[in-house]
Amino acid sequence: MNLKALIKSLMLRKFTTGLLILQLAITLGLLVNSAILALDTREKLSLSVGIDLDNILIVSTHPTSGNYRDLDYFRSIATEDLAKLSQLPGVNSVSISNHLPVSHRGMMSNVFDLDNPEQERTDKYLKDVNYILAEENLASSMGFTLIEGRFLNKSDQLDFGSDTKRNMVITESLKNTLYGDSSALGQETNNGFIVGVIKDVILDPSNPRDKQYGVFVNTIMEYIFVGRYYILNVEPGHMASVRSKAADTILAVQAERDIFDVFTMADRLKDYYRDDQGLADLFILLCGLMILVTAISSYAYSQFHIARQKKYIGIRRALGARKIDILLYVLTENWLVYTLGCILGIAVALGFNILLSQHISLSKPDLGLFLVAVSIVFISGTLATWFPANKTSKVPPVIATKTV
Amino acid sequence: MLIMNNIARIYRNETIQTHALRDFSLEVKAGEFIAVTGPSGSGKSTFLNVAGLLDTFDSGEYQLDGVSVQGLSDNQLSKLRNEKIGFIFQNYNLIPDYSIFDNVDMPLRYRGFNRAERKRRVEKALEKVGLASRASYLPSQLSGGQQQRVAIARALAGEPKILLADEPTGNLDSLMARQVMELLHSLNQEGTTIIMVTHDPDQAREVSRNIQIIDGEISDFRIYAPLQENQLNDKESHISDKEAVDA
Amino acid sequence: MLNYNLKLALISFKRAPSLYFLVILTLSIGVGLLCANLALVSSMASDPIPEKSEKLFHISMNTWPNDQPNEEPFHILRYRDAMKITESDIPKHSAVFYESGVYARDAESTNLKRFDSKVRATTPGFFALTNAPIAYGSAFSKSSGMEVVIGHELNNKIFAGENSVGKVLELDGELLMIVGVLKPWHLRPLFYHATEGRAFNLTDDIFVPLETAIDLGWSIHARSSSTVSYKGVKFTRDRNVFYLQAWAELENQNKVTAFQQYLDNYSQSLKDAGEHPLDIRNELSNVNDWLLENDIVDQKVLAFTLASVLFLCVCIFNASSLLLSRFHAAKFEVGLRRAIGASNRDMLLQGMTESILLGLFAGIASLLLAWLFLKLSSEFLPDLANLAVLEPKLLLVGILLSLFTAISSALYPLYRANRYTISAELK
Repeated sequence: MNLKALIKSLMLRKFTTGLLILQLAITLGLLVNSAILALDTREKLSLSVGIDLDNILIVSTHPTSGNYRDLDYFRSIATEDLAKLSQLPGVNSVSISNHLPVSHRGMMSNVFDLDNPEQERTDKYLKDVNYILAEENLASSMGFTLIEGRFLNKSDQLDFGSDTKRNMVITESLKNTLYGDSSALGQETNNGFIVGVIKDVILDPSNPRDKQYGVFVNTIMEYIFVGRYYILNVEPGHMASVRSKAADTILAVQAERDIFDVFTMADRLKDYYRDDQGLADLFILLCGLMILVTAISSYAYSQFHIARQKKYIGIRRALGARKIDILLYVLTENWLVYTLGCILGIAVALGFNILLSQHISLSKPDLGLFLVAVSIVFISGTLATWFPANKTSKVPPVIATKTV
Repeated sequence: MLIMNNIARIYRNETIQTHALRDFSLEVKAGEFIAVTGPSGSGKSTFLNVAGLLDTFDSGEYQLDGVSVQGLSDNQLSKLRNEKIGFIFQNYNLIPDYSIFDNVDMPLRYRGFNRAERKRRVEKALEKVGLASRASYLPSQLSGGQQQRVAIARALAGEPKILLADEPTGNLDSLMARQVMELLHSLNQEGTTIIMVTHDPDQAREVSRNIQIIDGEISDFRIYAPLQENQLNDKESHISDKEAVDA
Repeated sequence: MLNYNLKLALISFKRAPSLYFLVILTLSIGVGLLCANLALVSSMASDPIPEKSEKLFHISMNTWPNDQPNEEPFHILRYRDAMKITESDIPKHSAVFYESGVYARDAESTNLKRFDSKVRATTPGFFALTNAPIAYGSAFSKSSGMEVVIGHELNNKIFAGENSVGKVLELDGELLMIVGVLKPWHLRPLFYHATEGRAFNLTDDIFVPLETAIDLGWSIHARSSSTVSYKGVKFTRDRNVFYLQAWAELENQNKVTAFQQYLDNYSQSLKDAGEHPLDIRNELSNVNDWLLENDIVDQKVLAFTLASVLFLCVCIFNASSLLLSRFHAAKFEVGLRRAIGASNRDMLLQGMTESILLGLFAGIASLLLAWLFLKLSSEFLPDLANLAVLEPKLLLVGILLSLFTAISSALYPLYRANRYTISAELK
């Protein structure tokens, strides 16, 4: 394989070769970064939330009638909703709350231990702790894991309007920040007394893993008007049937409700990253288009240069080259171009990655990704030029003698 | 009409210099019919390219119809070429998907004539070569001889001062070649200056002046003996369709 | 000559239809995609109220009552701060509001279906300040009263688009009368509520006087922050509950300076009373500055726009390669025309005519594709659905971009075609 001769023949057509190299480089750059986006999103979606996402069904609803301003009325309806929902076959446990894991913000409060009121100056996340209004069944409905003490019970629900300090349950990361390794039970915070600690659940995915601060109090019935979500813990295998019946069950209790959505917690996670997924999909779509366009160019490039070289190929054949030699010759010329394109493409990929990082968060490229992208370029390029290359190898030697 | 003084055309590549024309001088008077002969690679084509303003030259002077060619811009050269010169090529070089009319019309487009004027000239040229009735045909529908006649009509449409023909009968059989030569002779009788490159010694003998180019240099043979009566057909200005033999 | 060149261009296209089709296709996809992105970015970055965006100011203050503020300054205000703003006569108009939501129904209808409606509880100055376009009736004139103004879409849903002034709506069990109906009102972005990611929302369905909403206890549906607990919005007038946004229309620089002074004096009085622990930091931001501060241009769209610029480059390179091979194939005819007297300039014009024609075809196709991509974009980025419109100026951009790409693709091939040596042999 005469590399020098190949390079020389490429130099004769600098312009078209240069254009193709640029196209290959840009294609590689986009391929690598699209793959990064897709992989990043996949990683986000495989986040371990801390609860059994597939078997928790949520119904989000809002009353439409003004009658619900009478909170006792509202409560009676809600209580019956919960009763009827728990009677559905396959439902293990039901609860009601104002807030779900995997959310942006929500109702927040600052939390500090009364003995250490300045702590929120050192940890800004203590200023914005998720304040979740719950009732006693929330732990079983969500499938929280207790690591200390107990979850909320009926006695934690104070009389409505009471000013007494409440009992509350906190998340593990909050406990670690406030109390380190010691027990949190019985400690007094500005929001109440701690009676239990649950294992961390991802409340806000954009916060660091060790800053998933949450506080649960048994006040949802008192503030029933923010009771937006019914949480159903469903036995595996029954999700489809429960899902189809949930809305009707609620409306059967009282019809003046707007059922916004019925979804599993798995759906919620997907929804949280909907935009990330959307962008990754857009980039992959663009990749597909770009590979197509570059393949067209590659085909046209080969076609064009082969047509001009027909006579010389005929001469080679006349001098003894076999069909396979010609095929390899044409393919090797192309592979040299692809190689140059890929080398430039690495620079483009890195540069584009840096440029994109100014606007969105994405990981840096790694070697494996480059190898995969390079192979895609080579394979699609070879496929694109296969036809003209094959046709060329069939050029008969007699062409060499033609003068026209 | 055409005066070349000490023209040199040198082709240079990385290592070799080729003198395609060296110290080439020629004077052509209006109304002459000149045959240019010479071995392959002698510079005949280069001479034709330079004479036809298709190529530049490296030294010397060239005057065409009183106009000095050196230093003219591309626009000016093109204008000159368009107005004063008509080309006739060996392989006719008609555009295959244009009609005869559109093929002949081509040079007129660059003259800025209006539609009526162009139509008039095209029809006049086609009359002259005896193909007026085939104006809407495509080249593929005509014989080789007819195609060459169309090419001649195209060269004539602009009423040029000089015709440059590069082996005009090279691709034709002897009968059609005869007809084309007759046409050229009759045009010359009417006063058109013609320079023709040829390999055919009979054709060379039939004209008034021969030039041989060997190794880029010119050997000029002056006027031959007058043409024999029986070697010519009608001296009429145009050949009628009915007499031409269609393929 | 132009007609001739156009005719020649069309003949040229007919001779190599698949090649030219590919050129037009790739250029139009590249331009169309970029145009769609530019449409989104332009919607996000545009001035929604150019006739007075320099005169409308959002007010942020630093009156948080302890030394642990959420932000400095804060974009939401307490009732007492907001009332101070409405009391001033320096602004031509002022608006203080919060966002809420209710279910609405025609009170006289037998149908119990209720429509989920977005509510803006506001002082009456809102309408003049935002140039809200009134179709029927008028805006309410006081901050209280059981009156509402409704938007065009809600009017369509409940009253089938008729003049519903005088009709009564049942909102959350209360009866309020419609005094005004708006024309279709598109604000891109929604400058008056650019925070909390709502800059691309539609304008509100129901506008209700501020005090009425507070008294009826219509809950706050946007950011609110407080240092004390409270049982509902009814109780927020005399507490440190921050939830109201405030805008002022200030006609000239003097007014701006005067109003700044007014706010600073108020903050100083709070400080003197020991009620303003933080620094005095009252900020007036005009519409465009406010939008900029809130960083509403979606970075994902910017990222994708960058990628589509790269894609367009690839399309141009592709077209250039294809055109080069095409021009090379047409070498014979170029040589012939030069021989019969066409100058370099004539051939250049012929080539450019072809390119421009290509550009026009690609331009039309690209606009269709841009429209299609915009429709599809809401599948991928649903939050931007309200922005996905193709404004007239983008149509112009599309055509110009297509022409530019077609011509630049052809530049080198034309240059090369120019340099072919012409010969009498014309092989």
